[in-house]
Amino acid sequence: MAVDVRTTPVPASATPGSRRPRLPRAERLRSFALFGAPGLLVYTCFVLAPIAISFGYSLTNHNPFNPPTRFVGLDNYRLLFTDSEFLTSLRVTTILTVIVVIVPNVAGLGIAVLLDRKGWLYNALRTVFFTPMVLSSVVVSVVWTRMLDDEGLVNQTLRALGVEQPPGWLSDPRLALYSIAIILSWQMLGFCVVVYLAGLQGVPNELAEAASIDGAGPVRRFRSITWPLLAPSLTINTVVLLITAFKVFDHIQVITHGGPGTGTTATIAYDVLQTGLVANRQGYASAMAIVMLVIIAAAAGVTLKVLNRREVNL
Amino acid sequence: MKDSRLPWLRPVVALVISAFFLVPLYMILVNVFKQGEKITQSPASLPDPPTLENITGLLGRTDNLFWASLTNSIVVTTLSIILLTVLSAMLGHFLARSRSRWARVAMLLLLSGLMIPPQVILMPITQVLRALGLMTTLQGLVLFNVGYYIPFGVFVFTGFLRGIPIELEEAAAIDGASRSRIFWRVVFPLLRPATASVLIFLGVWIWNDFINPLVILGPSQGTTITTGIYRSIGQYQADFGTVFALMFLATLPVLIFYLFLQKHFVKGLTGGATKG
Repeated sequence: MAVDVRTTPVPASATPGSRRPRLPRAERLRSFALFGAPGLLVYTCFVLAPIAISFGYSLTNHNPFNPPTRFVGLDNYRLLFTDSEFLTSLRVTTILTVIVVIVPNVAGLGIAVLLDRKGWLYNALRTVFFTPMVLSSVVVSVVWTRMLDDEGLVNQTLRALGVEQPPGWLSDPRLALYSIAIILSWQMLGFCVVVYLAGLQGVPNELAEAASIDGAGPVRRFRSITWPLLAPSLTINTVVLLITAFKVFDHIQVITHGGPGTGTTATIAYDVLQTGLVANRQGYASAMAIVMLVIIAAAAGVTLKVLNRREVNL
Repeated sequence: MKDSRLPWLRPVVALVISAFFLVPLYMILVNVFKQGEKITQSPASLPDPPTLENITGLLGRTDNLFWASLTNSIVVTTLSIILLTVLSAMLGHFLARSRSRWARVAMLLLLSGLMIPPQVILMPITQVLRALGLMTTLQGLVLFNVGYYIPFGVFVFTGFLRGIPIELEEAAAIDGASRSRIFWRVVFPLLRPATASVLIFLGVWIWNDFINPLVILGPSQGTTITTGIYRSIGQYQADFGTVFALMFLATLPVLIFYLFLQKHFVKGLTGGATKG
């Protein structure tokens, strides 16, 4: 997920060769056909075209088991904003996203500052923190389910400590969403740690030393020097967490199936596939998917814009 | 700067926090070697006595769950990352060196692909694949992976190419080398670090992928290693021995891979974060 979200790569004009004569048209077409076309073709077939198809379906009542398909205009979209199931999934996804953007960001920064030292111990610990990132979400979900189950490790421990009625982390409708947010935060934390550590290593020592001579304490030094220089790391972490949390599906599918109760943990991503591939209301599910895409693009765009403004150049 | 007071505080705090991170891994490790019923009774205890029952039981299953899933995962991951590396290196090179306005449009479209959730395209994908006769086939899954992950590859390669002077390619062209020859003999070897990042990250992601193989391969055509785990928790509610053995064997290759190549992981991740 090395998403360099700040800069749109500038393919052509940035290369110093803008003065060079362009190749003849036939030559350029040949090189497009040879190098550009194959990749773009696959991308078009499997990403761009499906989005267009989704949009098309979102204007119909398509259901493969209940023909005929009729054009219904914007009815699906209108229905969405009065559909309590969809509005719930929007709320669930928002809560989850807010938690997952904040918790790993804050904890990751703390741990990165803690580990920003030389030596074998700190190297080994970095490896440990990053490990959840290479585990499959399915594995993470199953292991955490075993731990947070009503009779799982956590509650067994709590009982041993004298808590008589430990909470139902995954079975209590009021708690399950927060438990899932913590599981996802746990999995993403390592990513934030690694990105912040890289950022910290880019902060020149001389600046901190100079400030120290001027009498700035550690808190002041962090606030006035380190934190502003970590702006690019904050941008990357925030955008990656935002996108990851917003499209969470695997954990819901494996751990709660959207429950307990009705839709207490059903995210938009989960709702889209339930409506489209289980209930087969593909026209309606497509409208959901398009709304999801618009929200995610807008949220990522705004976040990028706001955070980019903070970034300073040394 | 040195930690002046309490020099032991930092390592102790760091160790305590990391313990919290190791608990789930510890859970996998001890429970694989435990008898089924003890997994639920005492999840955290050491296996006493340790048993290989779970693993041998899984490997010897008559429905071949493990071996079939493993083969599918290996085939899909290997084919996907080879195709992805080749196609995204070529496309990335083309876009990085092209001066046309269309190249910029294509680049923008590809970059926005980095944030598209698979759920948005999976429904139409099933129709596209059905039309091509590739639904519920490994080839279909591979092709989908190539399309879905190509933005990441292109993103890494174009970023890297910005640091490689175009003069090298021009010199080769003056010497009379063809476009393909220039790409494969001059450019591609120079892209090695970027190629490593692409292979490693996409390898891990595709190996761990869940929803895409679940939907595209469907229930009848076998499983990958991750969908295999998912199916076995539904099917054998009580048999956590099998589930843990499957999780252990599914994670082991990725973990070993990660421990050996961690430098590349970190470099690949932070390439974008440190460069201004």
